[in-house]
Amino acid sequence: MQIFKPPETPDGTAAVELKNVSLRYDDGSDVLSALNLALPPGSFHFLTGPSGAGKTSLLKLLYLAQRPTMGSVHLFGTDVTAAARRSLPAIRRKLGVVFQDFRLLQHLSVFDNVALPLRVAAAPEPEIKSNVTELLSWVGLDNFMNAKPAVLSGGQKQRVAIARAVVNRPRLILADEPTGSVDDAIAMRLMQLFIELNKLGSNIIIATHNEQLVARFEYSRLALADSALTELPPLSYRSAAESDQAINEPQT
Amino acid sequence: MISLRTDLPWSGDSASRFIPWLVAIMVFLGTLAVSGVAVFDTILSGWSKAVTGTVTVQIPALPADSEQEANQARTDRAVKALKDLPSVEGVRVLANTEIDALLAPWLGERAAASDLPLPDLIDVTLVDGSTATIEALRSAVTTVVHDAIIDDHRLWFEHLIDLTEGFRLLTIGVALIVTTALALTIVYATRASLAEFKEVISVLHLTGARDAYVATQFAKRTLSAAFKGSAGGLVAGAFALFAIGLLARNVESGFLPDIGLSLGFWVLPPLVSLFAATLATVTAFITVLSTLRSMV
Repeated sequence: MQIFKPPETPDGTAAVELKNVSLRYDDGSDVLSALNLALPPGSFHFLTGPSGAGKTSLLKLLYLAQRPTMGSVHLFGTDVTAAARRSLPAIRRKLGVVFQDFRLLQHLSVFDNVALPLRVAAAPEPEIKSNVTELLSWVGLDNFMNAKPAVLSGGQKQRVAIARAVVNRPRLILADEPTGSVDDAIAMRLMQLFIELNKLGSNIIIATHNEQLVARFEYSRLALADSALTELPPLSYRSAAESDQAINEPQT
Repeated sequence: MISLRTDLPWSGDSASRFIPWLVAIMVFLGTLAVSGVAVFDTILSGWSKAVTGTVTVQIPALPADSEQEANQARTDRAVKALKDLPSVEGVRVLANTEIDALLAPWLGERAAASDLPLPDLIDVTLVDGSTATIEALRSAVTTVVHDAIIDDHRLWFEHLIDLTEGFRLLTIGVALIVTTALALTIVYATRASLAEFKEVISVLHLTGARDAYVATQFAKRTLSAAFKGSAGGLVAGAFALFAIGLLARNVESGFLPDIGLSLGFWVLPPLVSLFAATLATVTAFITVLSTLRSMV
């Protein structure tokens, strides 16, 4: 088990911090054991590891869908493990989550699905309309605003899920296999969206086992294996020119 | 203006579908019960006004072989004694024709003119209808006519009051049962919908929704369903009352006071429907909050 040093941050506060976090399922099996991690504000990481290594479980701890069996999770300096239930919505509004199974609301239109985080935060409708419209056109779904998720392809659903996750400019974006259902060109375009949000200051954690995708970017990896977490340097990556070329490839 | 936009898939929800019907039935029952009490109160106070302050004195007829004058003398003595009392406002001996009219349904025309030993009736109007007044009157009359009968209508009126009180208690009981049944059913329906929407609510929570956001959507939905139901129940109740009113009009008109114009009769049913809609909405809101609090 490797414990790695928290990166230095200007004000000493990590955006994401795990202290001795363990997660054990009801059947007694350990999924995560004694994880320690500290990510500075504005970091970008791939979360890698074989299927069943606990990537989704770790993300669940971070988006407050699950509490750790032991240890504590800190987001933006708040111990969310100890947070009262009534303070959770405020913390969750700083998060954007792309679920592996999308979790789109089937009875709502694409527009209303993406508008959800803004509506629950009581944003004014004109602001919702302009933000959602702009974002949907960025992900190439401006012709599907009134469609129900059921008529969309897997890749289209994925883009709706990503749009919903980022629409409220979250401080931490957690994406579980966000490019699993789209072709390469769209994957690069979606990655570009995450990169732009990262430049604006959001922390990004992308869980994936798509090594090709990871290899294209110069971002560190958090490798999860045998219920332990290891920070690894970027996989061999393409040159910036090659990356740019991939990003600018026309959509198919 | 309240937006009825919702994030919850109500069209697929079976539990909330019967809420309008439920509220309609409750409002209908509540309307009838409350109007029933209002009508009874009105009838009672009408009778009460008509009855208190009047007393009927009966001077029984002497045996058939007695002198007609002896009967007349007894009535005159009673009338004089009554007129001497300060609490008596007016005294009137019913004429034979009036007694004829009263008895006509049983004995046929001109019963008083026959040989039947009919009593003389004296209508007495009192300044006040207190027990003391009536006791003074009773002793004054029986002193001069020992077998005179004083009927102050009190006995049968007290039975009526008992009856009305019984109805009032029954109505309160019905109202309590209806209220409890409505609240419990809304709790049940809301919990069933919450269970059905579990996945959607979980997504709402994960996107940062507060419990109150979810509860407000339930409250709005319940309000609109309950509003439809209470409007329907109110209309049905109004029709029923109108029909009862028509039937009541056919009853001997002197017996029932005019009930149509009482204020409670027209104000209470809308209040009942308002109350039912509010109760349903608040119950749904509180149920959602308390149920969600037990979720992660």
